[in-house]
Amino acid sequence: MSDTPTRDDRDRTGGPAEPDQFLPEGDSIEQPSEDTPARRYTEEQKYQVFNKEFMPHIDSMYNFAFRLTMDEDDANDLVQDTYLKAFRFISSFEQGTNAKAWLFRILKNSFINDYRKKSKEPAKVDYQDVETTYNSEDAESEHTVDLRAESVSDLIGDEVANALNSLPVDFRTVIILCDIEGFTYEEMAKILDIPIGTVRSRLHRARNLLKEKLRDYASSMGYKEENEE
Amino acid sequence: MQTSLPTSSSSSARPEMKEHCSHSADCLKMIQLILDGEATEQELARVKANLESCKPCIEMYHLEKEVKELLTKRIEKRCCPEQLVATIKSRILSFS
Ligand SMILES: [Zn+2]
Repeated sequence: MSDTPTRDDRDRTGGPAEPDQFLPEGDSIEQPSEDTPARRYTEEQKYQVFNKEFMPHIDSMYNFAFRLTMDEDDANDLVQDTYLKAFRFISSFEQGTNAKAWLFRILKNSFINDYRKKSKEPAKVDYQDVETTYNSEDAESEHTVDLRAESVSDLIGDEVANALNSLPVDFRTVIILCDIEGFTYEEMAKILDIPIGTVRSRLHRARNLLKEKLRDYASSMGYKEENEE
Repeated sequence: MQTSLPTSSSSSARPEMKEHCSHSADCLKMIQLILDGEATEQELARVKANLESCKPCIEMYHLEKEVKELLTKRIEKRCCPEQLVATIKSRILSFS
């Protein structure tokens, strides 16, 4: 089963920070535990860390928020909430470690806790369901999408974005993190609180779904061209 | 990780080229690891060898690479509005 945590011992120098500097799961982000290593920043240092380590990622954060919510107002609120949380819990961030992954994790948790519930997405896809279906070892999940590189190379940005947006949010998320933001699997595992093996399989399935969508766009484009002649 | 892999044109003339891949699902997973820069040296060597002789895998490699590039380069990146940056900064200042 690809859900089984696989220990990945590949050495990655300059990799992400140790897990202990990541905030606790879900709602508990509101209450950092007592044993959170105390980093006593002075007020002045807090602002320094915030401006130097957090603010440079604000465009990536906004883009992530927009791709998740697909709505500018929601993206605004989500980014603002995330940065205010980040400031409030700045003592659990260790200076010089992976600020971007730390921030993305807070944003993703805020999205799940606050936005996904009221999201306009039709009949929220039960992720567990989707993943179980796609993880089953039957031939269907092992299929490769019949598509050629040349047939997608003419797609425009909007078509690619629409194809991406049409994916269930958990699949969309891994593609954004990996292909658009360039996070490593290890960083993604920490941002999403899932084992690396699950990152890998979810990404694989997400790409199969995406290629199916791209194939639909590519073939409708080919059809249009034929008709125009 | 940038790797140089054979292009379909340079190798398609070879007679020993495989027209069918009996393990394309595994090959696909491996190809994605490589494009994501997550493959080990052994995995890299294995796929490279395979890409010398397997036509479906070469095509798969080009498709995966193209799709990744579409996502990386063609989707518009939304920048954070100036107004939001200003709001965050002023709200932080009123925190303590
Ligand atoms: Zn092959």
